[in-house]
Amino acid sequence: MDNNETPAQRPVTLDITGAVEVKPSLSAAVIPPEPSLLPSSDVHFQEESIDLGGESFITPEEDSHSMPSESLMDKLNDQMMESVMISDSPNNSEEDDVVPMDNLLEQFEEREEEQAAAVVKETLVAEEKKEVVEEKVDDLIGQDTTEIKIEAVMMQTSPVASSPEEPLENVKQKLTTDDQDVITVSISAVTPEDSTPSSGSPKPEAAALETSSKGTTSKDESIPVCTIFSQGSQPKVQALVPDGFQPTLIKSPSFSSGTGGSTEITPSQLAPLVCQPSPSLSKFFSDSGHVNPATDFFDSFTTSSFISISNPNAESPKSAAPTERQLSASSGSSLPLQQAPVEPALATAPPQPFTQLQAVFSGGDDPFATALNMSEADKRYDAWLPSEETRKVLISMAMQQYSQVFVERERLAMPGLKFDNLQGDAVKDLMVRLMGEQAAMKRQVLTANSVEQSFLGLKQLISTKNWRAAVDLTGRLLTAHGQGYGKAGQPSSHNTDSLQLWFVRLALLTKLSLFQNAEMELEPFGNLDQPDLYYEYYPTVYPGRRGSMVPFSMRVLHAELPQYLGKPQESLDRLHSMRTVCQTILDNLEQGLAEDGSMINLTQENRQASLQLWKSRLSRVLYAVANCLLMMKDYVLAVETYHSIIQYEPQQKVQLLSGIGRIFLQIGDIKTAEKYFLDVEKATLEKGSGTTDTCVLMNRAFIYLSQNNYSDAHSSFAEVLKIDPKNPVANNNAAVCLLYLGRLKESLRQLEGLVQQDPALYLHESVLFNLTTMYELESSRSTQKKQALLESVACREGDSFNTQCLKLV
Amino acid sequence: MEVNQAKQEHLLALKVMRLTKPTLFTNMPVTCEDRDLPGDLFGRLMKEDPSTIKGAEALMLGEMLTLPQNFGNIFLGETFSSYISVHNDSTQEVKDILVKADLQTSSQRLNLSASNNAVTELKPESCIDDVIHHEVKEIGTHILVCAVSYTTQAGEKLYFRKFFKFQVLKPLDVKTKFYNAESDLSSVTDEVFLEAQIQNITTSPMFMEKVSLEPSMMYNVTELNTVETGDEGTSTFGKMSYLQPMDTRQYLYCLKPKSEFAEKAGVIKGVTVIGKLDIVWKTNLGEKGRLQTSQLQRMAPGYGDVRLSLEMIPDTVNLEEPFDITCKITNCSERTMDLVLEMCNTRSIHWCGVSGRQLGKVSPSASLSLPLKLLSSVQGLQSISGLRLTDTFLKRTYEYDDIAQVCVVCPYMSRES
Repeated sequence: MDNNETPAQRPVTLDITGAVEVKPSLSAAVIPPEPSLLPSSDVHFQEESIDLGGESFITPEEDSHSMPSESLMDKLNDQMMESVMISDSPNNSEEDDVVPMDNLLEQFEEREEEQAAAVVKETLVAEEKKEVVEEKVDDLIGQDTTEIKIEAVMMQTSPVASSPEEPLENVKQKLTTDDQDVITVSISAVTPEDSTPSSGSPKPEAAALETSSKGTTSKDESIPVCTIFSQGSQPKVQALVPDGFQPTLIKSPSFSSGTGGSTEITPSQLAPLVCQPSPSLSKFFSDSGHVNPATDFFDSFTTSSFISISNPNAESPKSAAPTERQLSASSGSSLPLQQAPVEPALATAPPQPFTQLQAVFSGGDDPFATALNMSEADKRYDAWLPSEETRKVLISMAMQQYSQVFVERERLAMPGLKFDNLQGDAVKDLMVRLMGEQAAMKRQVLTANSVEQSFLGLKQLISTKNWRAAVDLTGRLLTAHGQGYGKAGQPSSHNTDSLQLWFVRLALLTKLSLFQNAEMELEPFGNLDQPDLYYEYYPTVYPGRRGSMVPFSMRVLHAELPQYLGKPQESLDRLHSMRTVCQTILDNLEQGLAEDGSMINLTQENRQASLQLWKSRLSRVLYAVANCLLMMKDYVLAVETYHSIIQYEPQQKVQLLSGIGRIFLQIGDIKTAEKYFLDVEKATLEKGSGTTDTCVLMNRAFIYLSQNNYSDAHSSFAEVLKIDPKNPVANNNAAVCLLYLGRLKESLRQLEGLVQQDPALYLHESVLFNLTTMYELESSRSTQKKQALLESVACREGDSFNTQCLKLV
Repeated sequence: MEVNQAKQEHLLALKVMRLTKPTLFTNMPVTCEDRDLPGDLFGRLMKEDPSTIKGAEALMLGEMLTLPQNFGNIFLGETFSSYISVHNDSTQEVKDILVKADLQTSSQRLNLSASNNAVTELKPESCIDDVIHHEVKEIGTHILVCAVSYTTQAGEKLYFRKFFKFQVLKPLDVKTKFYNAESDLSSVTDEVFLEAQIQNITTSPMFMEKVSLEPSMMYNVTELNTVETGDEGTSTFGKMSYLQPMDTRQYLYCLKPKSEFAEKAGVIKGVTVIGKLDIVWKTNLGEKGRLQTSQLQRMAPGYGDVRLSLEMIPDTVNLEEPFDITCKITNCSERTMDLVLEMCNTRSIHWCGVSGRQLGKVSPSASLSLPLKLLSSVQGLQSISGLRLTDTFLKRTYEYDDIAQVCVVCPYMSRES
């Protein structure tokens, strides 16, 4: 793309390199005959340049795409330069693939420009001009030269962005329109207009911009991106209303250089910021533009042509609605059908005959007898307060007036699988890719086929961490229930088991970070308040039973889900309405009423049990609220909410106070954190047991860490290990401290030893991420070491393992 | 192919990683109840997960530290820390290794290496570690230049280097505004109020540890950002002193000229240096940043040739009852003046005494005190206006209106009711 310019720029760069001085001093110390090195075509001399700009990374595909033509010379140069591990992007860290350095830098510029273009279109021209300047710098670095002279160019690029007219205008406005006495503290010294170099036509860049933006759109379409902690792009800095305020030059206190003017930047010149690193690993992983294994899986079940060989029961999504009979023949036999025998027949029946059936059956029921049948525990657990509208429907249902009870279709929950097959094992795929089929044969995990097609098999899959297979199995079981693929929107009846299956399925999808899939499948359930999700809707199947068929945990899940998809406000709304219900039920219980506010007498024992249950449910909802607020970075409310949980869960006081302390550390408010940690110490003293000492030590270590005192932090973590040698957190954290102390080898040895000795505890996403990061920092042979980790993962972990933490892609 | 072979020839590998603070791992609680289908399975899985908080698994923020996941942003005033590792990838011993780390900014080149001594030998599979720190003092492009030179066993001297480029961004936007407490009573002391708007233009919350005004030698400063309640002052910003991205906060300071400066000329003229703001903030796990503004300068309000300020005035007076005020007249010009005072009544203010009296000669920078008597015929807050000073030498008249306000009350109200 810079073909137009490079010839023009080259001579200039060479001139400049000739004029530099620093190099001799270095070479004099080390390599005496410096000229002899350069001319000799012996290629011992290597240079690399890596752009650390924000979260940028480049996939090799993109490179070749956007850089179709390059001079041979460039290519040769590029080949010589290996791409190196740097802290930010996993892609750059791949030793073996050669990323041309020039490309790297230019890519960055492009991206920068892209960003800017997205934010402020009108400033595009200015941006492009800037890019030209930037490229000049890059060319300078890109040469096999010995020194760079960048000062002059740097000055020009320093106003990192946007509109050239704004700053001056602002200042003028301020000076003229304000009647208060305002003094100009500093005016931007450099305006982009003045400093733009004359060379270069913007056209090629614009073309490149187009191609690269195409590249990103396809990338954006990727998949379940975990949006935790995602931040909206920085809003454009608005043209300032003349408010009498004066932009003030800020500088580092110890900055003594006389060239202060060049660093001044008025607010409107500020570059759009790159997103801050997110504290969540999963975000980082999903951010990567690489086609990662997770993507493959998702694609595989969304594209209709995919037919799983390993799963004979799975039909291609094209033949969308499988007939009920087929499936019950294959898997129905082992499906536990604990409910009333009429159920299978009802499953596919249209709603009207079904209600007729109910009407027929209901005639002979004795309400008093059935009321007694209803177990107290059921009542306790199923209690829920439906909305007024739903309640009316349920009451009329209880009246058994079939003709009057006509529930519109929209008011019913009609769920169905939205995708059919999730089979896959990222670990195995990675092994095939890196080590070949032979090595991958060793990988053996349970699949949906290899277990009993029942709840028992499902539990087996879950406990062995084969959650993908477990999701498959729930799919089969739900298909057998008539809520399979393509059945969404078709009437079907619910029962306790089907809803439990849905809950497990959605919970596992959430655990697998497949939030969008979970959201799709939850969608037909609406707000979980449809009348057919209550036992009262089925008086014949569940005579006398009342309350919600939807398990409480599913409601929590339903409420929590939107926050992972970037809609935390929706989560908060749902959680707060849940909180209200929990609170009302607790109030009812305390006033001597039943959970739903009816006058039924409860025994003292049952009341206590119910109070306890609902208190724990309320605290679970409060935890969810606080977690959501924490994600939204609303720390004030988050801390308040965590604090309020202590009254319901006094035994978690120590953990909660420590957690609040850590929140303050995250913000950077160390003093307040110390206050909370002091409260923790008091609380542990009250308890009087020696076991909580680790908690106090751990907190102390975090304080040291925040004071940049890594050696004391390390010894505090080591003290925890004296008390509790198997503490995985302290072990991992001690190793992290060692790295910051410059003791990479020790740190590596410690972590490596832990993973080998106690894989059950240490084959954890975060530990492995730390370990692989250190491998990359240590040597060029990190890939082999990572593969060794992959092998040990393959022996122990199920198909739900997140392979991205190994950074092998 | 040739090129690839050449690449293999380097026996040492250089790795660089920026050491931002580690982060705390957050886990995603998915729970169920005992009666649900998975039974205690989910609970057990979460208990076995080492990253959860034992006993409070639903708490999202864990204790597990994870290393920095990407380069992140670096802001002016923060400290750039980096791990530099040189590893011997080969099977032979290497001698005389010198690792040099320089930081090239737009204006200077800094050496960041802890030591400039060569390491005499490096065995296979071992490495040289260095952690460098540098407080970033400039905005814009920075390039970390790492150079490695060494001698192979064959005596061959080799050299290579790598560049790491990053951008330093501006973390804060600071705007200032001065308020001269001039037209009211406090003008007696020449107080100046400084309002500083500080905006967080990064993408992460910032804990403002310190925002203080370091006054120049002419001024004393009082911070007006706490409310005194009992022993301890509480911050006007509430319990939590952090600033969300794009949030702005106003800090207020009151500056009084030190007496020796205030009395010298009676007024401080022209541009004066007020002082500078010193800002210290912290972010994730105590990552610290510090900035100072340039010297804040204030243009003292122009008082013209003759300045009239008030030295004494009651705040509340009775209706139609004469009261005293004391004016101070200062000659701010470079010449001697001969002044005549005229007092013009307004709708509400009535001056007592003779209008048009001679005040005599006032030399440059000199001032004179002038007791005056007046009364108000209207209730409420009344503005004192209507003083005219005429310089008989130049035949120039200076008008002084809205000099101050008094509250006029009726003393008979209570008796009548």
